Amino acid sequence: MRIFTLTAVLFLSAFNINAQNSCLDALLITAGLRDVDSIDGPEVPLPVCSTGGDNATAGEWFKYVPDATYLVTVSSNIIENAGADTRFQVYSGDCENLQCIGGDDDSGTGFLSIGNFTAIVGNTYYIAWDNNWDSNGFVFSIAEEIFVVPAVVFSNLPIAVEGSSICVVDMNGDFLDDVVGVQNSNINLHLQLPEGGFEVQNQETQQAAYLPSWSIAAGDIDRNGYNDLLYGGGSGVSFMLRNNDGAGFTQVYQTQYVFSQRSNFVDINNDGHLDAFVCHDVQPNVYYINDGEGNLTFNQGGMGDTFDGGNYGSIWVDYDNDGDSDMFIAKCRGGNSPANINQLHRNNGDGSYTEIATEAGLADAVQTWSSAWGDFDNNGFMDVIVGASSFSQGAHKFMYNNGDGTFSDKTLNSGYDLLNATSIEYVAQDFDNDGFIDVLGAGNSIMFNNGDLTFTRTQTGFGNGPIGDLNNDGFLDVVNGTTVKVNGGNNNNYLKINILGTVSNINGIGARVVLYSALGKQIRDVRSGDGFRYMSSLNVHFGLGQDSEIDSLIVTWPSGIVDAFYSPEINTTFLAVEGDGEELPGIPNSVNDANKIELLVYPNPASDEIFITSNSPLDNAIIRIFDVNGKLISAQRLTQSTVNISALAKGAYVLQLTTNDSVTERRFVKQ
Amino acid sequence: MNLRLLTSVLLCTLMIACTRDDDPTPTPPPTPPATLVVFDPTLVPYQTLSEYNFYKGELMNMEPQDDVLPYDLITPLFTDYAKKKRFVWFKAGSSASYELDSEIFNFDDGAVIIKNFYYDNVQPKGVQRIMETRLLYKLNGAWNFAEYVWNDEQTEAHLDMDGSYRNISWLQDGELKATNYRFPSEAECLTCHKTSSKPMPIGPKPQNMNKLFAFNDGVKNQLAKWAEMGYLTGNIPADISTVAAWDDELQPLELRVRAYLDVNCGSCHKENSHCDYRPMRFAWIETINPQNQGVCVEPDETLDPTFTHIISPGNVNRSMMYYRISSTDEAVRMPLLGRSIVHEEAVQLITDYINSITEPC
Repeated sequence: MRIFTLTAVLFLSAFNINAQNSCLDALLITAGLRDVDSIDGPEVPLPVCSTGGDNATAGEWFKYVPDATYLVTVSSNIIENAGADTRFQVYSGDCENLQCIGGDDDSGTGFLSIGNFTAIVGNTYYIAWDNNWDSNGFVFSIAEEIFVVPAVVFSNLPIAVEGSSICVVDMNGDFLDDVVGVQNSNINLHLQLPEGGFEVQNQETQQAAYLPSWSIAAGDIDRNGYNDLLYGGGSGVSFMLRNNDGAGFTQVYQTQYVFSQRSNFVDINNDGHLDAFVCHDVQPNVYYINDGEGNLTFNQGGMGDTFDGGNYGSIWVDYDNDGDSDMFIAKCRGGNSPANINQLHRNNGDGSYTEIATEAGLADAVQTWSSAWGDFDNNGFMDVIVGASSFSQGAHKFMYNNGDGTFSDKTLNSGYDLLNATSIEYVAQDFDNDGFIDVLGAGNSIMFNNGDLTFTRTQTGFGNGPIGDLNNDGFLDVVNGTTVKVNGGNNNNYLKINILGTVSNINGIGARVVLYSALGKQIRDVRSGDGFRYMSSLNVHFGLGQDSEIDSLIVTWPSGIVDAFYSPEINTTFLAVEGDGEELPGIPNSVNDANKIELLVYPNPASDEIFITSNSPLDNAIIRIFDVNGKLISAQRLTQSTVNISALAKGAYVLQLTTNDSVTERRFVKQ
Repeated sequence: MNLRLLTSVLLCTLMIACTRDDDPTPTPPPTPPATLVVFDPTLVPYQTLSEYNFYKGELMNMEPQDDVLPYDLITPLFTDYAKKKRFVWFKAGSSASYELDSEIFNFDDGAVIIKNFYYDNVQPKGVQRIMETRLLYKLNGAWNFAEYVWNDEQTEAHLDMDGSYRNISWLQDGELKATNYRFPSEAECLTCHKTSSKPMPIGPKPQNMNKLFAFNDGVKNQLAKWAEMGYLTGNIPADISTVAAWDDELQPLELRVRAYLDVNCGSCHKENSHCDYRPMRFAWIETINPQNQGVCVEPDETLDPTFTHIISPGNVNRSMMYYRISSTDEAVRMPLLGRSIVHEEAVQLITDYINSITEPC
């Protein structure tokens, strides 16, 4: 470690070495202190790697070549600079092609700057100060520390997204995450290429009736192989449906007033068609039921009916492991309104939902706009970080799923009790691939999960944005405006899964994916719409730590079909197709794509009778009921829409419905 | 300038005159004539504005019946430069009483507050166009909303509680402006107009109305006129903490800013209101404390680390308030509702104010 002392400062200052005025003239410097007389060099440091915009008109350039690999700290956070307002950028590359490595605006006292970067031995780095705020002279230091490998390091990759870059999802059917920019009448696509990099496409749209100012969601609601988009606007909702040939979008919207907040695509009534849900800020929530024929029917009521809203972050999650998606709503409202009490809507399996946050222990008053759901200790149940947007009515809470429908407060000593920053965004993902889900949100940090119900805050210098793997390296990246925060990764292993539903919705949204390896059991729910505003990848990502093999991957689809995939290869992307896996003992999963019909069997669980509905004629269909061992229990002709099951013993069954040209199965539970 | 001075002097004189409680012979309120306004509590809201008969003659002239009293606010809410004509009407025997300088009058049942939104010099014809008329009326102790959207012929306004849009362009001081004008839905009305989730007017507070107004029978203080009409009963203090006119350059900058913040931001950002979980407190009586204005207060929501404070002394580019009032992005702009274009003159006011604060955080 070589940190310069004040003596060194004074000594070096005496030389009064001036910086140079352009990149090519950059002055070679080493660790120590430097004076800058004033910022007046004609070459403006670009691109801007730090925050603060692009108002600079001049720069001062330095060059630094480390003699070993160091963590280098550049700082104007020095007492004699008090009152100054500085900013610097750090680049690698050459002067014709500068690459952002780091930089800082205001991390120091007042408006002074301090920031670090990893300097690899032998490389050349450019440190350039600009006059974005003022041109006055100041002193800065360069200090070198022995490089300690952090969990992961993010670097900046500029990406020229036009419009708001709020969505990272596959847009051309190749499962690779793309970056989507939304403008009034254009969608700016940065399509990830298999060989790396992006191809830019612009697809003109109709003038958006409502822009995604508050949130965006993606899902293929018409099953044409291309994801469609939902724009959650301040007074209504627009759908941009991707045309069947992938060329262009068709806008569909209705004029009901919706003050949109979080939006999701999810199969609310489990009929195999993706529906849309939108949190309403000032009224009961709204949802659009998809009949599979291209019609989206607006509904309001029954899914969080607080009359004056307060609905900010709807996260769909199977909290009770019963195979269907429940919905948590992060809520916020001032003025002593009960609209700020968080809600948990349990899916009853029959298309209805019951609000049970109080029983679950999640009816918190903390003002939250989104909450991070994930299984933080890999015990097979989804926990939640209820992330505060304001500390006015309580701080962050780590609520641990007891596995019996209730949650316990494990905030104390979790690291969240010490997090003094707030955010409207909290999203759970494994950013260091260690097999434990971390949380991005608040204080420009990632809360890295230590695996023991505690988290360690690591400041990354960036906040939330859409998350995906934008260089297909198995490590999750984050988009912030026109910069990809590229996750540099580490030597941990991973598995990515592309999901393809056949009976269920084509994105497999709502599927529960379970991965078994030496680390134990990890779970994910496929989710469209996480956090508050952004749309992140629909691909499922698991970190594996140092595990070098995977025992199995079990996918439970919204249809009830369960697929087991054994020993998928690590550090690859695995395609999980509904019905393509092996059967788990006792759970048939056979799917014959050509001979399936849409079939809804409810309630589930059921006690006396079950109802069967379909959009295909069911007259004279044969109903067979099998137990979990595949043994036929009963067979009958369907003469009405109900089947009496009162004689069945309690347990799980498979109902098989055979028409003239189809055979379709559904699981149900007799209770 | 001189006129403003004169007005101020008149205002002072009048306030002293009309609130002197030692006046030996107070004038009894005149017996109100039978009203021509139609307001059947069992039938409202009517489907059309004309059914209320608030106005004499042609509806679009907005010429009030004798007991429909015009009033004005010292500093109004900005709504895309729309002009406003405000009226109040009470059914016979109803009135309002003083609560606090900073609180809405305590209105009886049967009070109706009428607010017309219109533009002059609307393109292409350069004529006036009335956009909407909003009613707040009180029945059974509760306020109710009724939103009337004017037709293109300007002959009628129809009840519409669902919200809609209309494109409009007009000349604003010679400059062409345009907006996709938003007619609020009932939920939008409530979002701003509420206290503890219950509907509530915002404007008619003593602090906002304590000024002169040119009534048909002469220039009078509005509070005095209300009292004279029998619309305001009980004692009114002589000394009312009154907001500044935001555009009165004779007033201290800070008072103008505080007035603007109160009317435009304070209904959400004050104690016990929609957004009281954020640190700002923008009500007139609360902004005496600069911290409540957001001076040197860090934002909860870091849209960009550049914005270090709600108000960063001397530095608009680091002030979240400046950023939000300058934005039209509906997820960034403030106020959230009621504005879709930038109030340039207010941005200048806030800029001047931020630049005038010199003491660093």
